[in-house]
Amino acid sequence: MRDKVIFLIIGAVISVLFWFFSAVLYEAIYYVNGFSQFMYNDGAYGIVALITIAMTWGMAAIYYYLINSVKFDRWYHWLSMLGITCLLTPVVCFFVIDARMDGLDYGTYSFSFVLHNILVAAIMFVIASFSMRWWSSNCRHTPIPQ
Amino acid sequence: MKLFIFAIGGTGSRVLKSMIMLCAAGVRPVDANGKPLQDVELVPIIIDPHKSNADLKRTERLLSAYGTIREKLYGKNANANGFFATKISSLKEVVSSTQVPLDDSFIFNLAAVENYKFRDFISYNTMNEPNQALTSLLFADYQLENKMSIGFVGSPNIGSVALNSIKDSNEFKAFANVFADGDRIFFISSIFGGTGAAGFPIIVKNIRQAKNIDAKNKAFLQKAPIGGLTVLPYFSLMESDDKQDKRIDNADFIVKTQSALEYYNNTLTGNGRNAVNAIFYLGDHGHNSPYAYDPGDKRDQHDPAHLIEMVGAMAPFKFMSMSDSELSDPATGEPLPTKAFEYGLERDTDFVDFSCFGQETRSMIYRPLVKMHLLYIFLRTGLDGIIGQGFTEDAPKITREFTGTQFYRVLTQQFFDSYIEWLTELLHNRRHVTLFNEGEMDMNKAIHKVLTKKGLFGNKKVDNDVFKAEMNRLSRDNNRYGSNPELKLMDLFYTAAEKIITDRYNNLN
Repeated sequence: MRDKVIFLIIGAVISVLFWFFSAVLYEAIYYVNGFSQFMYNDGAYGIVALITIAMTWGMAAIYYYLINSVKFDRWYHWLSMLGITCLLTPVVCFFVIDARMDGLDYGTYSFSFVLHNILVAAIMFVIASFSMRWWSSNCRHTPIPQ
Repeated sequence: MKLFIFAIGGTGSRVLKSMIMLCAAGVRPVDANGKPLQDVELVPIIIDPHKSNADLKRTERLLSAYGTIREKLYGKNANANGFFATKISSLKEVVSSTQVPLDDSFIFNLAAVENYKFRDFISYNTMNEPNQALTSLLFADYQLENKMSIGFVGSPNIGSVALNSIKDSNEFKAFANVFADGDRIFFISSIFGGTGAAGFPIIVKNIRQAKNIDAKNKAFLQKAPIGGLTVLPYFSLMESDDKQDKRIDNADFIVKTQSALEYYNNTLTGNGRNAVNAIFYLGDHGHNSPYAYDPGDKRDQHDPAHLIEMVGAMAPFKFMSMSDSELSDPATGEPLPTKAFEYGLERDTDFVDFSCFGQETRSMIYRPLVKMHLLYIFLRTGLDGIIGQGFTEDAPKITREFTGTQFYRVLTQQFFDSYIEWLTELLHNRRHVTLFNEGEMDMNKAIHKVLTKKGLFGNKKVDNDVFKAEMNRLSRDNNRYGSNPELKLMDLFYTAAEKIITDRYNNLN
């Protein structure tokens, strides 16, 4: 039990750190003059990070506790949830960023940025999964047995 | 409490077989409040000189399988809950002393009897002429020539002589020494044959006269609570191919029964005798299938299971559930007048299902048997596909290798093959006992005349996934099983089945 709580705490801490250092991280993986400065000045990195955290933890929670089915407990089911998360997260992020552009023409860069964010979303989904899966009755051994 | 069960003759073995099935399903004796009795241990002792009797062999194999499975689940612990909960031991297992050499078997060693013709056993040839003449009056020629390795061919007059030697056997001495205060004795025998009809009163007599034997616990033995299941005619025999062979004749069954009942009344159960504390009478005359003729040397006596045997198997549980004060005088310990029990179906029919039994029977057997049948379906159709997922991955893990263990093979092959054979025989006997639909592996339709409850979208579903989900839930954070995956599998299933049966079936108990 204690180990499981530690996993949850570690996952939560990583997520908070990710949000806290989101600008540094995102600029490290994708930097374009103008667009990145806008993102930084607008505080959009933090918003994208929050969306990514919410989407990944939310999708993991849906998988482990809402779906939580013996018919959906194989590793490839989990992988399909990861795929859906990696599809939805950039879409939502793109529209949120686009709404904040206020006439600026950074659409191509935005698109490229959210594609890079897929990698972050995938990693966050793995972290969320390993943080919360232990209490799922049917999927706690997915994707890898305990 | 140890219950020593003397299963005498072919009927004894067949009833014992049904009893093993009930024990495997988790049927247990309960006290007046319905709570399972603690520290119960059954010690079956099969008495049958006809060692090649297929029914005896089947029962012995089943006992062996039961022991293998139970030991893996609960070790030597007498108290358990779930499938195979009741401990069943051989006489050798309960005898701690090594002074008396015993076979490690459930079968009473009758070497002193079975190696002889009856003529030689009673030393007919060395008798003087008047004694030979008297003996010839009492025993027919074919009885004198009877090789006792095939049993007593329906002749209680042979059995009553031959089985009297039991009291001098190592087994009887070991039994007398190990019998302790609080233990009980139960007899299972038929009254219309040879071995059972004679063996029951003979052994009771020897127990009640235990003061004459060299045993440290003979005082307990003399006042031991004794119960007996006396099975009246419930099958008939086809005629022999050899029309002259009338060693066992259907026409004699009722006469022999009447005579034996009269004798029992005079010696065991009648007013002032009280040699037996409780006696259970069962019979099914008129609803019986003729079995192939076999006095012991024609075929292997492989008779199909019968409703009477299944019902009879409940008698020892009922006997164990009776309090001491119901059986013996609390002040003196002397047996009270014999309590006699009979049994009737709630609905008398040739097509028996769970609904035909009375409430007491249904309460006793319905849920355990349904659980065991669902376990059978689950292990045959479900477990293999879910290894590596869900509860199987919790410690202790149930791996692919698990299905190759001795436990799993004995359970799923040896034991469940016998279980299905038993159900099939019950179904195809003249009294068609249809507890479960033959060959049906769909859990929703498996219980005869029992459907699942209505839900929001039609009937509720019961399948392997429902069990898997419930077992997953029960297994989470469950550290009770140590390093025993066998116990984990069986206990999780038993507990899951209890909930699923309650939630999803329109039950009959």
